Amino acid sequence: MPMPFAEALKTKEFVVTAEVGPPKGVDIQEMLHNIELLKDKVDALNVTDNQSSVMRIGSLPVCKLIKEAGGEPILQMTCRDRNRVALQSELLGAYILGIRNVLALTGDYITVGDHIEAKPVFDLDSVLLVKLIRQMEQGKDFAGNELKGAPKFCVGAIVTPEADPIEPQLLKFEKKIKAGAEFIQTQAIYDLENFKKFMGYARKFDVKILAGIVLLASAGMARFMNANVPGIFVPQELIDELVAAPKGKALEKGIEIAGRMVRQLREEKVCDGVHIMAIGREHLVPEILSAAGM
Amino acid sequence: MIVGHRKPLEEIKSYLDGCERVLVLGCGTCVAVCMAGGEKEVQLLASQLRMAFKEEGKEVLVEEETIQRQCDREYFDTIKNKVEHYDAVLSLACGAGVQMAAELFPKRVVLPGLNTTFIGVAEKEGVWSEKCRACASCLLAETGGICPITICPKGLVNGPCGGTNHGKCEVSKEKDCAWTLIYRRLEGQGRLDKIREIQPAKNYKAQTTPATIVHAAYMEEEA
Amino acid sequence: MRAKRWVRFTKKLLKEIGIEPERLEMFNMSSSMAPAFAEAVREMTRRAEELGPSPLKGKTKNAA
Repeated sequence: MPMPFAEALKTKEFVVTAEVGPPKGVDIQEMLHNIELLKDKVDALNVTDNQSSVMRIGSLPVCKLIKEAGGEPILQMTCRDRNRVALQSELLGAYILGIRNVLALTGDYITVGDHIEAKPVFDLDSVLLVKLIRQMEQGKDFAGNELKGAPKFCVGAIVTPEADPIEPQLLKFEKKIKAGAEFIQTQAIYDLENFKKFMGYARKFDVKILAGIVLLASAGMARFMNANVPGIFVPQELIDELVAAPKGKALEKGIEIAGRMVRQLREEKVCDGVHIMAIGREHLVPEILSAAGM
Repeated sequence: MIVGHRKPLEEIKSYLDGCERVLVLGCGTCVAVCMAGGEKEVQLLASQLRMAFKEEGKEVLVEEETIQRQCDREYFDTIKNKVEHYDAVLSLACGAGVQMAAELFPKRVVLPGLNTTFIGVAEKEGVWSEKCRACASCLLAETGGICPITICPKGLVNGPCGGTNHGKCEVSKEKDCAWTLIYRRLEGQGRLDKIREIQPAKNYKAQTTPATIVHAAYMEEEA
Repeated sequence: MRAKRWVRFTKKLLKEIGIEPERLEMFNMSSSMAPAFAEAVREMTRRAEELGPSPLKGKTKNAA
């Protein structure tokens, strides 16, 4: 059974987190299987919040299931679907259910999802959400009212180290830390040298940084992400490696690439850990960790 | 100005089902400027309707009037007495004007011919873009004169979000990222300190509808 | 009456910039009402003496 995530961040040299995405529907067999598979292999498991604005089971109930299974969940919380009242309410609910870790996100816009006519909320943003959580920890809600019992959380946020342009991203990153973020999970990185440059800048801040690792299943996927996902740049050498893989073995190559990146980050002490995102292929996370020699 | 866009003709025709005498009423101010509901547009729409009804073999009288504004009662004086001759008034004003017309003529069926879309500016002839969401708590002083409530679809006061890419918005590659624009504008002025601090959450109470403004000169209390 | 409304409004504007609204006043009278006029002048003189010099006096090169 993993230790509390805050403790892992404090005491471990290299932290590993992964992610589960709840299904759109009530058939949770596959998700429960993935939770069972991963819960003891990683320091914490993120549960996404209607990721990509696609309606799914909420993060909170799945975090509770992870807790019940003996795992350590990280509640991902976006500002897209809930106003400040609902956000605080859910945070109090998460706390009383034993959930202690939150990743504060702004959230994708409604129109990238599957309910494009819905009303987007965005009452707050990720910076204000971090600030809100820290304020609740002081015993007051966002409007200044006294709380009957204050929660306490380990709060994180995200950053895109290869955003282009980078300056507005870094300005926002600094605001998240100013607001009180204590850990950061990054968008997927593929270029170690560029990431080291980013870490050169990020090291001035008192915050733990976990590098994002997204498993590449094929050269096509890499090209797609390069064209469509902001801040993701898969270098040509990696695409070439995937192309060169024997037929049907591109996924294996992807696992090898991911494992190699994790190993390098750990051995060269580039950052404080990794966050492995293998959405749809959660069962391959243990293989990535093996490929990394962990 | 307020910018609107004419509703699809099919939708307008469906509103007029069963009407035999229609007045198309234009507005000479905002919607005339954005070429959606002024005198010219009244003429065009009225012609289209006459032709469409004729094609369908329907006997519908379609007449035209345009007044200076539909958001001020006094401008309706010139047509007040005519309105009773019609079953329906198809107003091409913005939503505010349509409602004023409906209030002044409660026994007539008053219908909207436009979808009122936004407060905006003319970019060039024939092109208008949204600039203001009337949020009642303007923060343009903090953002170098670029409104994140309007230009950012998420209305973020601490942006950008993670979806920004090459200065374009997650929602559409054709849309600029408001926060990249704000960053560049303030950088050019040497005033990035404006956005380094955490901007407080937006006060939505300021936007509680419906709002009323009374000019200080028209308030009744003691000075 | 419109003038009354605008005098009242101007008093608010003066108050906004920290100038005492009592420095401005409107009195109703016709041109033949000399005693009323004298009384109005006395009243405003009294107020000016009580309030002291205008807060703007001497503050800029082109004094008010």
